[in-house]
Amino acid sequence: MTTVSSTTEADTRSLMWRRWVQRHGWTVGIWLILLVLVVWYSTLIPRFGGFQASTIIAGGTAWVFLGVAQAVVVISGGLDLGVGGMLVLSSVTAARFMDGQPIGVVILIGFTIMVAAAILNGFVGWIIAVSKIPDIVVTLGSLFIYQGLALMVLPKVGGGTSETFRWLFTGSGTGIGSNPWPTVVIIFIPVVIVAWWLGKTKSGLSLYAVGSDTTAAYLSGVRDVRTKIIAFAVAGVFGALAGFSSVSISGVGNPTTDGGVLTLNSVAAIVLGGVVLTGGVGSVIAVVPAAMILFFFNPILSALGVDPNRAQVIQGVLIVLVMMVAGLLEWRRIRRR
Amino acid sequence: MSDTPTVLAGQAADPTPKKLSLARRLATRPQIALLGVLMLLILATGIVEPAYLSVAGLRNSLIWAIPIGILAAGQTILMLTGGIDLSIAMIATASAYVTANQSVNGTVFAIVAGLAVGFIAGSANGIGVGVFRVNPLIMTMAMAGILLGLFSGWATTIFAGSTQMSDFMRTLGGRNFFGGRIPWAALVWAVVAVGIIFLLRKTGFGRNLYAIGDNAVAARLSGIRVWQVLIAAYAMSGVLGSVAGLLVGGRVGAVDLQLVGFLLLPSVAAAVIGGTSIFGGVGTYTGTILGALILGVLQSLLTFLGAGQAVQQVLYGSIIIGLSWMYSRLSAAQ
Repeated sequence: MTTVSSTTEADTRSLMWRRWVQRHGWTVGIWLILLVLVVWYSTLIPRFGGFQASTIIAGGTAWVFLGVAQAVVVISGGLDLGVGGMLVLSSVTAARFMDGQPIGVVILIGFTIMVAAAILNGFVGWIIAVSKIPDIVVTLGSLFIYQGLALMVLPKVGGGTSETFRWLFTGSGTGIGSNPWPTVVIIFIPVVIVAWWLGKTKSGLSLYAVGSDTTAAYLSGVRDVRTKIIAFAVAGVFGALAGFSSVSISGVGNPTTDGGVLTLNSVAAIVLGGVVLTGGVGSVIAVVPAAMILFFFNPILSALGVDPNRAQVIQGVLIVLVMMVAGLLEWRRIRRR
Repeated sequence: MSDTPTVLAGQAADPTPKKLSLARRLATRPQIALLGVLMLLILATGIVEPAYLSVAGLRNSLIWAIPIGILAAGQTILMLTGGIDLSIAMIATASAYVTANQSVNGTVFAIVAGLAVGFIAGSANGIGVGVFRVNPLIMTMAMAGILLGLFSGWATTIFAGSTQMSDFMRTLGGRNFFGGRIPWAALVWAVVAVGIIFLLRKTGFGRNLYAIGDNAVAARLSGIRVWQVLIAAYAMSGVLGSVAGLLVGGRVGAVDLQLVGFLLLPSVAAAVIGGTSIFGGVGTYTGTILGALILGVLQSLLTFLGAGQAVQQVLYGSIIIGLSWMYSRLSAAQ
């Protein structure tokens, strides 16, 4: 992000265009890929209507939220292996306390869980910032702790939530419906808020500053400890939202879900979304379609008649190929500089 | 390294001894502290359950520590280069699966086939990371997914036969010698440990691993073929995964595709507790051994305390954070 003073207006315009492509090219590209996949999928299956759209969007919601949670932390130069554990912990907490409650109480419980998740994960961020232990180690610990806490809250599969709450995340009181719009809204409100916060506010931009160069950010007056806490707190909130989505789909909480696998999905999603793992680069707007694409692989491959095991192999190979291409592009950009 | 210009070597020779002694002090002190933690944990477990302080009790902890320690050897080698292997548990599982399946064709062939799985998958990881510069987290994670997919399919097709380990593998994985005192698997771990420690301390390959993790660009400019070293390192990690998988498979007797998965995060934890930096360039296998033993004793302690899985996981996580905090404080204090 260098400031360049140009002589002529035409130069400026072409430079601005180049910078726009450099900044947003990946975001636009990944949305286009999602669009192409959706169109292709709709030709593969006999009927593509509200039901299919709703199933895919609702199923991908948790992936999107976890991807955004991971993106916020990685942009700030960290890594949170605990986000999957946070999904499990918040989903079982929701399932245990929301069961049989009226919608007003359910919403109140939902907000309480989000605040608690922010405090808990913010505390993890504080430990990392103060102790200077690598993120991956501390959050490996927090992943274990969240999974253990989840088992304490709800020892075995059970609990439930209100139908209205399930409607919010799935468009149906039973978790399977044909109205995708409530889910679309519930994804976009928090994502747009976070995108605005990251791009337009001082505290949001400080995440990019710390992520690209912690020392430089510190020397120019960005408070690095506070930034780390905020990044992890936001990740906690999105982990909780992912948990709500999961409990809304299944209708119960499952404490034995493997949070580690979910975390790995979130890392794959942000990488596909163009967030650079070394920090300071990326946009949550591109993480949304990337997470959806990763989730979307399975329905597409099963529509193609590919056996699920083969589908998993193809998914792994595709992720590696995407990374190779991304690495090649990055290498070319460095060379050109 | 031999073609490094002598002028450079002469210049570097001056500050080297000072730095080395400091680095050695940094590295040794926290290990003594780790040994203290290990002793305290053993004592604490002995207080909770006096019967633990016996050959049988300590052996139980050792049996836990062995596969973790061997898997963590792979993690240590890769973490020294700044990498990590998230596919190692799946490689272990796949190797055990192949060995069990091929046990009808003779034990030697079965073992070689099992180790070949680790070598092939590890080399593929190495090519992805070393040649194509794929991030190690992503590369090995994708490899785990690919292997799980392949073997889920193959379990009912080309590997549809036996899932039972041969008698030799059961002995090696689960039985004891020296009057039933020492597990055979401990002997395997000892051989692996001596080999890894020698490799890291005494060989050029070991020094290259540290150099790459410390500064990959400087390593490349000083003539190290980084990609070759990385491929070798990932292949080694894969083979170590296979060894651990065969031992676990031998202990359990029969294999399935969830055999070793639960040991993935402990293998990372053991290396981290032992003081290996996840950013590369810093760490020793002796530290990792202590880390694995601590995790093994901890498992016994939590079992004796009657702690359920929930409490175990919370304590496990807290101890990973606590020990690495202690370690970083000790290192910083030097």
